[in-house]
Amino acid sequence: MTDTSTLTNFAPLVLDLMVVFTALLVLATDILLPAGRKKGLGQLTAVALAGILGLSFVVDTSGLAFSGAYEGSAWTLFFKRLFLGVGALVALGGTEHVDQRYPGRQGELWLLLLSTLLGMMLLPGARNLILFVVAFELMGLPLVLMAAWPKTEDADGPGRKAPEAALKLYVVSAASTAITGMGMALLFGASGSLALADLAGAPQTPLLWLGLFTVIAGLSFKVGAVPFHQWVPDTYEGAPTPVVGFLSVAPKAAGLAAFALILLEAFGSAQARWLPVMLFLTVITLVVGNALAVPQNDAKRLLAYSGIAQIGYMLIAVVIGTEAGQAVLLFYLAGYAVTNLGAFLVIEAVTGDAPDADLGRFAGLYQRAPGLAFALLIFLLSLAGIPFVVGFWAKLYVFMAAYEAGLGWLVGLGAALSILALFYYLRLAKAVYLRSVDDPQPVAAGGGLKLAIWLCLAGTIGFGAWPAPVVDAARAAAAAFGG
Amino acid sequence: MMQAWLILAAALFSLGLFGLLTRRNAVGILLSVELMANAVNVVLVAFGRWHGVADGQVFALFTTAITVAEAAIGLALVILLYRQRQDVLVDAATEMRG
Repeated sequence: MTDTSTLTNFAPLVLDLMVVFTALLVLATDILLPAGRKKGLGQLTAVALAGILGLSFVVDTSGLAFSGAYEGSAWTLFFKRLFLGVGALVALGGTEHVDQRYPGRQGELWLLLLSTLLGMMLLPGARNLILFVVAFELMGLPLVLMAAWPKTEDADGPGRKAPEAALKLYVVSAASTAITGMGMALLFGASGSLALADLAGAPQTPLLWLGLFTVIAGLSFKVGAVPFHQWVPDTYEGAPTPVVGFLSVAPKAAGLAAFALILLEAFGSAQARWLPVMLFLTVITLVVGNALAVPQNDAKRLLAYSGIAQIGYMLIAVVIGTEAGQAVLLFYLAGYAVTNLGAFLVIEAVTGDAPDADLGRFAGLYQRAPGLAFALLIFLLSLAGIPFVVGFWAKLYVFMAAYEAGLGWLVGLGAALSILALFYYLRLAKAVYLRSVDDPQPVAAGGGLKLAIWLCLAGTIGFGAWPAPVVDAARAAAAAFGG
Repeated sequence: MMQAWLILAAALFSLGLFGLLTRRNAVGILLSVELMANAVNVVLVAFGRWHGVADGQVFALFTTAITVAEAAIGLALVILLYRQRQDVLVDAATEMRG
């Protein structure tokens, strides 16, 4: 009945297993290192993740594992590289923050980062509902703890809001788990199988559609799509900035991979059923995300709402359902990852010790740190979709793919909202460049943080000036999707 | 018989969702989430039995383990909130808005 020939085939999971070994290594090193010398743990994590990323270009991870519950392909590999790259950049950029604030507890934070990365890396390859749920929770639960990490150690500093931020993330996450789980239980009830491949062939009963829409609602919480978005700005404002940078990129990419799995891999043949619902979600996510970003006065909240709007653009790429749409989604994710992470790392450099990230704190940044000001400007222009940084190509490709799929009105709406988006991104840029301060205080950013920002900047400009390699990789990955 | 189980699960799930939306006590919210998770388990086990396969029961074991991990994190957060604000009402955690 069940094919057991791939039960002991671990080749598709080599990279994931390396992450597990890294986690164990960090745990063991944490115990052995004396207090006060634990800064190396973050660097170890960054180097190990970069090494695994390099390894991903050498080993072959395609094929089935665990009796078909897991499938490795070029599509899953693209996501794995994305997560490994983001993880390495966050570890690099966050090491100093973590070492200064929580010197005694940094090993556990990196352990949690590696756990959540493992969940994300497993998720795109899941072809079975149980593995899907386990990977999803392995991703979600450590994120809550990472958001709560400052605890009460700096009662008046930036960590004061962390418990509230984590609690809001937790409640949403727990509710989303229960709702997604209920949807999956209904899908199982309607189809009698836990394999994703069997769902579309199941009898087309109302039970099946109820299950599908319940799963869509549960997943929408996770990616922060409107109307399930209320937790996003509060969590972003209160959680530690390096964690927020990670939270704004990696779990979103994993959530979109989950959407692609459920909507396209499992229910691709029933697009007519879910398309109206998903289009509705996409449109209100675009409109509300962009509209609510305008009045924000805190840089992290502004980027939170902008991130909701960006999710809207990525949802367009998912719902059009074509292979071109998948390629565009992957390209958009890669560009968004370096850009948004870079923007949050600059915010960390500028407001690291401040209790909030008010726009006023960025006044005169061009005098205080010209390099950081330039990097932030490029990141903001990329998020707004200005030529010729990576965000421009990402938006252009999304619009082209949507137009080809016959969704011209959605292109018009997206383009109009991009102009509104330019307004709020430039509000932050205005504070950086057009407001002067009398006694410019230099910005004290550590070497690792600066290096991470420069790497993100190199990605943003590099992918923008020379998008072809990423586009080719995204196309090849999209061709492997849905097979 | 199947209908009875589904009605039970729907009742548990709705009760949990209602509690999640209306409870102001953080512990109450955790209990509501547990109710929702257990409604999922009832559905899984009932459908597993109905289809005559063990998949539903196996899935229920996994969701139980996940729910336990989730509850542990939730309680840790409630303790954290209490230490910081001497209160477990979520009204105490409304500093950030807008």
